[in-house]
Amino acid sequence: MSVVLLGLSHKTAPIELRELFAIAEQRLADALTTLVSHEPLNGGLIISTCNRVEVIASTQRPTHDAVSALNRFVREFHGFRSEDIDRHTYVHSELDAVRHIFRVTASLDSMVVGEPQITGQVKDAFQKAQQAGTVGSELSRVMSRAFAVAKRVRNETAIGQSAVSISYVAVELARKVFDRLDGSTVMLVGAGEMSELAARHLRNVGASRVLVANRTLENANRLASEMGGEALPFTDFEKRLHEADIVICSTEASHYLIGSDNVRHALSARRNRPILFIDISVPRNIDPSISGLDNVFLFDIDDLENVVSFNRTEREREALRAEAIVDSEVKRFADSLAEGDVNEIIGAFRREVGLMVELELNRSRKRLGPLTNDQEEAVRALVNSIVSRLTLPVIKQLRDGDEGFSRYIEEWRELYHRSDKGR
Amino acid sequence: MDFLLILALLAYLCGAFYSVVLFVTRSESSDRYLIGLLALGFVAHSISILMSWMRLGYFPVVNPKEVASFIAWAIVLYYLVIRARYSVRALPTFVTPVIFVFMLVSLLLPEPVQAISPALEGAIGASSFGRWILPLHVTLLIFSYAAFVLTFVGGVMYLVQERELKAKTFGSAFYRLPALNTCDEISYLSLTIGFVLLTLGMISGMIWNNQRDGRFWHYDPKEVLALVTWITYLLMIHYRLAAGWRGRRTAWLSVLGFLVVLCTWIGARYFPGYHVFG
Repeated sequence: MSVVLLGLSHKTAPIELRELFAIAEQRLADALTTLVSHEPLNGGLIISTCNRVEVIASTQRPTHDAVSALNRFVREFHGFRSEDIDRHTYVHSELDAVRHIFRVTASLDSMVVGEPQITGQVKDAFQKAQQAGTVGSELSRVMSRAFAVAKRVRNETAIGQSAVSISYVAVELARKVFDRLDGSTVMLVGAGEMSELAARHLRNVGASRVLVANRTLENANRLASEMGGEALPFTDFEKRLHEADIVICSTEASHYLIGSDNVRHALSARRNRPILFIDISVPRNIDPSISGLDNVFLFDIDDLENVVSFNRTEREREALRAEAIVDSEVKRFADSLAEGDVNEIIGAFRREVGLMVELELNRSRKRLGPLTNDQEEAVRALVNSIVSRLTLPVIKQLRDGDEGFSRYIEEWRELYHRSDKGR
Repeated sequence: MDFLLILALLAYLCGAFYSVVLFVTRSESSDRYLIGLLALGFVAHSISILMSWMRLGYFPVVNPKEVASFIAWAIVLYYLVIRARYSVRALPTFVTPVIFVFMLVSLLLPEPVQAISPALEGAIGASSFGRWILPLHVTLLIFSYAAFVLTFVGGVMYLVQERELKAKTFGSAFYRLPALNTCDEISYLSLTIGFVLLTLGMISGMIWNNQRDGRFWHYDPKEVLALVTWITYLLMIHYRLAAGWRGRRTAWLSVLGFLVVLCTWIGARYFPGYHVFG
C-alpha cells in the first residue's frame, strides 16, 4: 500500500488561491466520495483549513497513477482548467507523504509553529472521512500514528508551551501568579480590542468575573453584557480596584491613571493578595513605580512584546527537536510497514503450503483406504511436521529481514498474491 | 555502613540528579521514574531503620548520625504525601537535593564511640515511660523539621519565581516553577503542620523532663534554641493571620526559620547542657 498527497498551504499559495481550494464542511462528504471514486484510489481524507488544503489518498497501485488521479480529482472538483496551479501545489507520495502528514498534524508546518488548533482540525477531518466511510485501514494507520506523533511532540518538547501572542502572554503571566484562575476577577480599564481579547482568554480559562470601566458607558455595557460581567462608571474603577486580581489597562489617557497610592489602598483592602497589572496603553496609564511594591506585578506593552519574541525564538529551537522526533517516527513507521508486509507474505505462503498439503492428502486417500481416527491423526501429524521443518528456515529468513533476502519480497508478494487471487 | 543505607543514598542521589535534569530540560514527560527512585530509597531506608531498631532495642535516633538519617527519611515521607496534592514538577528539584545532603551527612558522620550515651541509656531505661516518650518526642520534632524544610523550599521557589516575574526575564525557572500562589500555599500548609508538630514535640519533651526530675524547663541551650524556633514560626503565623503578610516577606521568614532550625539541631551540640542527645 502507499499514501499519496496533494496539497497547498500558506507557504506555497496566496490566500486567493487557498480560498478557491478550500472545501466547505457541507461539501466535504461529497468531495470524499468523489475522491475515492477515482481509480486507483481506495481511501481518502481531506483536510481543509484557512491555511491549507491537503488531499490525502491511499492506493494499492503504483503511486504514479494515484498522483494523476489526485490531480484529476482536484481539477474536476474545483473546475480548474489551467496548469498554473501546479506552481502552488505540492505532491508527496509514500514515506514523504507520511512525513508531511506527521509534520502538519504536529503543527510543525503551521504559520505559527506549535499552535495547537491544527491537530484538532486534522482530527475533525479524520472523523468526517470516517463518517463518510472513505478512510480505509491504511489511512487509519497513518493517521492514528500521526496523532501519536503530535502527542509525543507536544509532551517531549516545549513547542506549544509558551504564548506567542500578546493576549495569551497575559494569560500565561496570570497563571504564573495565581495558578488557577477560577474565581478570579478581571478588571478592564478602557475597552480596547486587545484588552477585550485578553479578557476573553482569561474568561475561557476560568476567570469568573469581569468588571469593565470605560469612558463611554455604552461600550462598557456592551462588553460587560457580552462577557457576563459588570459595567462601571469610569470614575469608579479606583474605588473598586481592590476587587480585581488582574487589571488590564488600555485607554487613551495621556497621564497615569493608576499610581502607588491607589495600589497601596487596594492591597491593604485585599490583604495583600497579589494583583497583576497589564498596561497596554501608549502612553502608559499605570505608574511604573508600583512595580516596586510587594505582591504587585506590572507589565507594559514592551514587556509583553519581549515575552512574545523570546517565546518565538524558543519555539523555533524546540521545533528542531520536534523535527528529530518526526524523523525517527517516520523511520519507525517504515519499519512497521515492512514488518507488516513480511507478515502478510508469510501468511500467504503458509496458506499456500497448507492448500498443497490438503490437495496431496486427498489425492493419496484412495490408495490409503479407510483410516481410523488415530491413523488419520498420525498421518496429518507426519505430513505437518515434515512441512513445518521444510518451511521453517524460509520463514525464519523472511522474519529476520536479512537485507539480501528482502529484495525478493516484492517477487514473493507477486507470486502469492497471484495465487491468492487465482483461486 | 549498611548496604541498605548506601542503596537509599544512591537512590536519593539519582533522584536528585534526575529531577534537576527534568527541570533544566523542561521535559513534560512523566515523573514516575523519579517517584520510583524515591520510593525505592524510602523502602530501603525504612527497612534499615527498622532493622537497627530491632538490633539495638531502642529507637535509633540517639546520635547525630541517626538523626540526620531520620530527618532525610521524614522529608521523603512528607514529600511523597504532599505530592498527592501538589504534583508540582519543580518541587522535587528543590527537595531531593536536601534529602540527599541529609543522607550524605548521616553517612559521613563518624560512628560514635558509644552508640548511646550512658546518661541517655539510663534515662530511657529508667521507666517504661522513657522507653516510648523518646521515640515520640524525637519523631514529632523531626517530622516538624521535615515540614519546615518544605516551608523553606516553598519560600525559596517563591523568591526565585518572584524575581523572574519582577525582572521580566523568563528563563527556564519561570516555566518550570509553579505559580506564586502555589509556592505560597505549599509554604503555608507546611508551616502550619510543622508548627503543630513542633509544639507537640516540645510539650512531650517537657513532660519527659518533668517525669525525670520534676522540672519542665532547664534553660538548656537546646531548649532555648527550640523556643527561639518556636517563636520564629509563631511570628510567621501571626503575621500571616493578623497582618495579612504573604509572598516575599513570609518567604524570607521561611528561610530565616530554616536557619534557626539548623542552629537548633547542630548549634546546640557545641554548648554543654542537660540535653543528652541529638
